[in-house]
Amino acid sequence: MMRTDRTRLVAVLGFLVVLHFALRPRLGWGQVAPDFLVLALLLYAIRSRPGRAAVAGFAAGFLLDALVPARFGAAALAHTVVGYLAAWGRAVFFPDNLFVNGAVIAVGVWLRNAIVLLASGGSAGAMGMQLFVWSPLQALTTAAAGALVLLVFRDWLDIRLEA
Amino acid sequence: MPPGTVRSLTRRDTVLFSLCVALSVVLLFTPEAGRSVAAAARSTVLKPLLWLQAWAEASRTSRARFDKLRAERDSAAYAAQFVPSLRAENLRLRSLLGLSRRLPVAYVPAEVLHQSLPTDGRTLLVSAGSARGVRPFDPVVGPEGLLGVVRAVEQDWSVIMTWAHPEFRASAYAEPGSVFGVVAPALQVEGADHLLQLRGVAVRDTIAPGTRVVTSGLGGVYPPGLPIGTVIGPAAEETGWERVYLVRPASSPELATHVLILRAPGPRDLAPAFVPEPSPPPADSVP
Repeated sequence: MMRTDRTRLVAVLGFLVVLHFALRPRLGWGQVAPDFLVLALLLYAIRSRPGRAAVAGFAAGFLLDALVPARFGAAALAHTVVGYLAAWGRAVFFPDNLFVNGAVIAVGVWLRNAIVLLASGGSAGAMGMQLFVWSPLQALTTAAAGALVLLVFRDWLDIRLEA
Repeated sequence: MPPGTVRSLTRRDTVLFSLCVALSVVLLFTPEAGRSVAAAARSTVLKPLLWLQAWAEASRTSRARFDKLRAERDSAAYAAQFVPSLRAENLRLRSLLGLSRRLPVAYVPAEVLHQSLPTDGRTLLVSAGSARGVRPFDPVVGPEGLLGVVRAVEQDWSVIMTWAHPEFRASAYAEPGSVFGVVAPALQVEGADHLLQLRGVAVRDTIAPGTRVVTSGLGGVYPPGLPIGTVIGPAAEETGWERVYLVRPASSPELATHVLILRAPGPRDLAPAFVPEPSPPPADSVP
């Protein structure tokens, strides 16, 4: 990755982090609002090697664990796995396509939530509501936000978005 | 396709992934190992981001904004009264203001900084810490009743363990006070709502649906009289020599935007503070 590309990627990721803490609280309805942190992780992961993506996922997850210490380590594990799989999947099979990128983001958010819930334990009923109602909605809103970011920053992110 | 993405997996990638997974698993089973680092992270790298979030929360619902809206009581503000989410939030803030006037003990108001993880609600991060007198094991209430207890305190932030946390327990009684038990999170949900259980009720005792459950004050953490919820009926897993009742919680951690942290409330009965005030006149009667 060239230095200019890296600077642009860091700028976009920083912008998403700021959005997560400054814009997301204003959107309300926290269970459904887009998760800009996991979006930043996925945008980084699909441009990185799986090992680096796993480390980035662990770091992001650890910081989220610090903010929601309901089950310490659950977010670190979830983000590690999601970061690694996104980078691995990008390297192996999926193309530069807006729909596919959106689907990867949606699946990434849902998988992250599923791992966090499974690692955290709790009642089956509450887990079912989270997994099959709130998490799919959050996955959709995050995918929509991701598609918007990809469209706006497609030159900076060096992504060719095929129809 | 950007350079550097189409590469095969290397041993280095696998080693890094395995290392991160191993560290996460270690944190899962020995959370104490990470808590001090997490506290340090909240005080350093996350501090500016949390300030940003606290600012965003405050600008959404702050007193200044409330006053401004009240001063600008024009047609736009009038119309905003009818937006359901704004109206609900307005109602919660009014209720909290009413509660803060009625509470006979010292308290610290705080904003809730909700996070994006699905487990947000089991613990809550709030914008008040030791600098404002918050201490571990201080009870936390909302306008409807008990929300939880302070678990960890830093200078500017505190972490609350809410009633939705699997480890939450509170000694409670069903009004008027003849049936005691221990309240804990239930395994069931009702729609999208989490429920509580009142466990340890003697077999000889029965509780009618609709009975209010409040804290008993036993144990010394929660003062007596904090509303916890309302009995729905017997739980399915009722067995042995105890009865278990399902309780609909009075307050919702997911919806809480502002809370009051009670400072050393002692054994004083707080039930009178949670008697609701008469409703304000409807919005369409405001001139």
